[in-house]
This record gives sequence, C-alpha cells and structure tokens, in this order.
Amino acid sequence: MLLPARTAVLNYLYGVKNADVDQIMEALKPEYGNERQFTKDRYIDHVMSLEANGMVNLSSHDLDKNGVLRMFYEINDDGKTAVDKYVDKKYRHK
Amino acid sequence: MTETRKRFKKIGITAGIISGLMYGLYTTFVLIAGKYEPLKGAADVLPGLSGALILAYVASGLNDFFAGIWLTIYNIKTGRIKELGRSLKLFPGKISLVGSFVGGPIASGAYLLGLSMAGAYAIPISAMYILFGAFFSRIILKQKIIPRVGVGMMICVVGAIVINWVKPEGSTNFTLGIIFAFIAAVGWALEGVFAAYGSAMLDSDVLINIRQLLSGIVDLFVILPILGGMGLLGSTMLSVPPIGWLLLSGLCAAVSYLCWYKSNSTVGCAVGMSLNITYAFWGVLFCILFIDQPITPTIVVGSIIIILGAILVSLNPMELFTKKED
Repeated sequence: MLLPARTAVLNYLYGVKNADVDQIMEALKPEYGNERQFTKDRYIDHVMSLEANGMVNLSSHDLDKNGVLRMFYEINDDGKTAVDKYVDKKYRHK
Repeated sequence: MTETRKRFKKIGITAGIISGLMYGLYTTFVLIAGKYEPLKGAADVLPGLSGALILAYVASGLNDFFAGIWLTIYNIKTGRIKELGRSLKLFPGKISLVGSFVGGPIASGAYLLGLSMAGAYAIPISAMYILFGAFFSRIILKQKIIPRVGVGMMICVVGAIVINWVKPEGSTNFTLGIIFAFIAAVGWALEGVFAAYGSAMLDSDVLINIRQLLSGIVDLFVILPILGGMGLLGSTMLSVPPIGWLLLSGLCAAVSYLCWYKSNSTVGCAVGMSLNITYAFWGVLFCILFIDQPITPTIVVGSIIIILGAILVSLNPMELFTKKED
C-alpha cells in the first residue's frame, strides 16, 4: 500500500536537500500521478501544512525562467524524527 | 513571496471565522431537529437520564454519521478516498482514532446531553475546551502556562460561574447539563492533543472524515443498542423533518471541522482556535433568534466573559495590532 500523500511528501523531502512543489510532484508522479488528488494546489497545501506543523522549513525561494515564484522546502529535525519513527524504511527514497 | 503568504493567512482567518459560524449553526440545527416527532415526544416516553442519553446519542450519532457521509462524498470528489485506508495504516492515524473516540462518542455525546438539559447555557461552557487544552498541554506536553494564558483561564472560570449563577426556571437537570458540557470541554481538549499527534503528517481532511464516520458508527451501532435506543433511531430515520435538519446539521459540522483544521494549519492553532471559539457567541445568538432561548443577563454576560477569556488563552491581543507582516 502507498503512503498517505502528505506523508509521502515528507518522506520524499527526507531523502533530498530541498525541493519545490514541482520537483516533489515530479518525484511522486510514478506512484500518485494517476490519482485525482494529484494537483499542484493540493501539493502546495501539503508542504505548507507540513511547514505549519513544524515538520519542514522554507529554505529558499526564487523565480523560475517564466517569472513564477518557486519555494524550496527542506525537512527539519522534527520531520526527520517523525519519518524515522512512523514510516517503514522500505518507503525511503534513495 | 509576501503575496502568497498573505493570501494563505487570509484564507486561514476566513476559514476560522466560517468554522465558528458553522459550529453555531450545527448546534442550533441539532436542537431544532429535537423539536420534531419522534425526538420531541421521546422525552416523555423515555424519562430520566437513560432517556436523555438515548435522545442525545440518536441526535449526535446521526449528525456525526451524516457529517461523515458528506465528508466521504467530498473526499471521493477530490480523489482522496484511498487516503482513508493509507492513513489508518500509519501509527499517527491510529492514534487519531483514539482522539476520535474521545472527541466523538464521549465529548460530542456529552455536549448534546448538556444542550438538552441546560439549553444554550451549555454552549459557552463547552467552549472552555480551550482552557482544558492549555491545561493538558501543560501536563502532557510540559508546556509552560504564561501569565496571559493563566489570566484568560481565570476569566473563563468567572464566566462559567456567572452562567451558573441563576438557574433558568423549570429546568430540573440544569446543573447536570452544565456538568456534561464540562465533560465535552475536557473531551475535546484531549481530542486536540491526540489530533495534533496525528495531523502533523497526515491530511486533516481525511482524518476528519474518519473521525466523523467512526463517531457516528460507534454512537449508532455500539452505544445505542447498549442503551436500548434502536427503536427511537428507527422511528427517527423514518420521519422526514428531523432527518432533514440532521442532514443539514451534519453538513454544517463537516464544513466547520474542515475549516477549523484548514485554519489551524495556515494561521496556527492559537489563532484558529480563538476564531473557532466564536461558535459560543453564534450558538447562543442563533438559539435566541430561532428556538426561543430566553435572553437573560447571566447568559449574555457569561457568554461574553467566556469568549473573551478563551480568546486571551489562545492569542495575544497585542499581536493583532503590532504584527503587521511576517
């Protein structure tokens, strides 16, 4: 069974330095891409809620080549502890 | 950058206000449902505490079950129905089930029991869940109670005493009703502790769905059979007006919870809670407007004092004026 989507976002950030929503969605596309909940708005909601709950931090932001804002998030210690505790190692991204 | 964040904050504040308004409406609609047969006549057929319990659990169970159905439809529509099973497989999801049980069958049942015995007086008392929330954070999460929170808690207690000062005429179980409202407040505070544990890494829209479905199913198919209330449940299911009102109250409860969690995760729990707590004001106001709740000085003054105290517990008023931008 797949992880819940929000947990999957946190689990993905565990394995990378930081990522913006597009990168997160790109990485999770093979598993979640065919679901109706796989929308950018929903994933922005996921990262911002994880941030509000103290699991990830906003690490930097810039404008992409089209002038659209990109916000990069990184997992913090509390987020890492939560993943270590509750997410089975078999789900970890390499 | 600031634009995106500002927009999120605005959404959070709006959601918080809507959550309070909807909780006031839910409370009122459940009380209106109780004005129709067979719920109305049931108090005479089923006297005493067990009768009041059966009535409360028929109303609370149907409301929560309908809220669960509305939320299931919402989550099917947004493509998240599989998330229910996925979330329950993780430990934080399982812990949130414990919270659902404390907040649903225990606290919401006690809330409606309190409402049926003490009328609108039970509403502001139940709003003291914020006070107990701060208290449990102190005990369980070892968070310090700062002076502002301590003062807010004392104000809440004063408000509760004011509400209790004059008992309404003809109410035999008034004090018992107030006690049940207190139980609701304690239960919701504990639910908050468990929910915070679960919702940190899970989609709260999904958790609320599980919460309402579980609460409704336990109320209707575990507690009611034990109490001997299946007869009343059956006859209520077959009559249109109370079911109509409970479908509506379930919808309001569903929207309220969605907005509350949304608000908590965008503007923070403290602000979210203090906006949600305005339900005590809306609830009392709607009861006065729609179901002939008599206006007495104690209910008006007590409600205002409790709401002010609750806001002080959860939010520093000075920050509202000084914190322009983050």
